Amino acid sequence: MDKEKFKEILENFKLFFQGALDFNRKSRSILEKEAHNEMDNFILLCFADMLGLPIPTTYYTLEILPYIAEDLEDWQRRMMDRKSIWGERWGDFDLDA
Amino acid sequence: MNRIILFGGKGGVGKTTCSASYALSCAKAGKKTLIVSTDPAHSTADIFGKSIGEEIIKLEENLYALEINSEMESKKYMNKVKGDLKNVLSPIIVKEINKQIDAAAISPGTEEAALFDKMVEIIIEKYDAFEKIVFDTAPTGHTVRLLSLPHLLGAWLDTLIEKRVKALGLMQMANNAGKKNKEEIMNDPVIKILSGRLDKINKVKDIIMDKEKVSFAFVLNAEKLPIEETKKAIKLLEEYKINVGYIVVNRILPDSIESDFWNNKKQLESKYLQEIFDTFKNKKIILIPMLNSDMGPNNISEIAKYW
Repeated sequence: MDKEKFKEILENFKLFFQGALDFNRKSRSILEKEAHNEMDNFILLCFADMLGLPIPTTYYTLEILPYIAEDLEDWQRRMMDRKSIWGERWGDFDLDA
Repeated sequence: MNRIILFGGKGGVGKTTCSASYALSCAKAGKKTLIVSTDPAHSTADIFGKSIGEEIIKLEENLYALEINSEMESKKYMNKVKGDLKNVLSPIIVKEINKQIDAAAISPGTEEAALFDKMVEIIIEKYDAFEKIVFDTAPTGHTVRLLSLPHLLGAWLDTLIEKRVKALGLMQMANNAGKKNKEEIMNDPVIKILSGRLDKINKVKDIIMDKEKVSFAFVLNAEKLPIEETKKAIKLLEEYKINVGYIVVNRILPDSIESDFWNNKKQLESKYLQEIFDTFKNKKIILIPMLNSDMGPNNISEIAKYW
C-alpha cells in the first residue's frame, strides 16, 4: 500500500515537472507564429497586387507562384481579416480574450 | 569603341539610323556585329529592307540582327509559369491561379519587364559570340528606366531572399526543436529561383557598369530641346554609373545653302553645335549630315562612312 502511494506521488511529481519544465510547447507555438508571420510578409512583398496594392515587380514573382499558390488563398483571407495589430500582439500573450 | 553600345535619345532624332549605320560600319570593318532593336515600334527592318524577327538573322557579311518582341516574350514566360503550375499543383488551384497570371499579363509594366529580361539574356548569352552588340533603344525616358532596373531589382531580390530564408529557418526551428538545416533552406525551389534571378542581375550589372565593356551613345539634333533632354538623361545615367561615351549629332545641314529660310536654320544650328561642343566636351562627339532622301537599304552605307 505504501509502495503504491509512493509510486503515485512519484508519478505526479514526474508529471508536474514535465508540465512545468516543458518550454518546448510554448516556444514551438511562438516560433510557428513568427514563421507564419514572416511567410505572410514574404508573400505580401511578392504578391501585394492581389490585395490591390500595385507593385512594379509582379512580373518577376510570377515565376515563384507555383510554389506559393497553395498558401495564397489562406494568406489573402488572413490579410483581409487583419483589423488591429494590437489585437494580434495581445494575442501573442493570451491577453486578447 | 566598347563591345556593347546602346543608342538612345529623344524620340525622332534618328536613333535607328545612327545605330544601323554604326552597326554596318562595324561589320564592314570585319567585326562580327549584332544589332538589337528594343523599341516596340521597330524600324531597323525598314532601314535594311529585310524583315527581322525575334530570332537572330544574318543581314550581310558579319552583320546580324534581332528585334525583341516584348509581347511575345512575356507570353512565353507566362506559358512557362503555367506549365510549372500544372506540374506542381492540383487542377482546381491551377484554374484559379491561371486567372491571376492572365491578369498580370495585361498589367502595366509587364512588357517592359519582359523586354528587360530579354536584354539581360542577350547581354549575358551573346557577349562572347559577337565582337560588337548594338542596341537601338526606345526614347529616353523608357531607356533610362530600363537601365535603372538592375539596381532596383537587385535590392528587392536581396530583401526577398533574406525574408524567405528567415521564414523557412523559423519554420524548421518550430518543427525540429530549435534546429535549422541550412542545406534544406538553400534547396527550397523559391530561393533557387530568386537567387538565380539575382545572379543574372548582378552579372548584367557588372557588365553595364563596366566602362570598358558598355557605352551609351546619345543621339541628338542641333536643336534646343534635344540638348536639354540629353543633359538630363546623361546626369541620370551617370547616377546609375552607366558610362555615356558618345554624343551623336544627327541631321547636320549641308554647307551650301541658298534659301534664306535654311540659312537662318544653319546659323541657329551652328550656335547649338557650339553649345553641344561646350556642354559635352568630355565625350566623343560624332557629326552625321542630313541626306536629301529617306534612309533605306540603298543609302545607309553612305551614313556608315561617318563612323
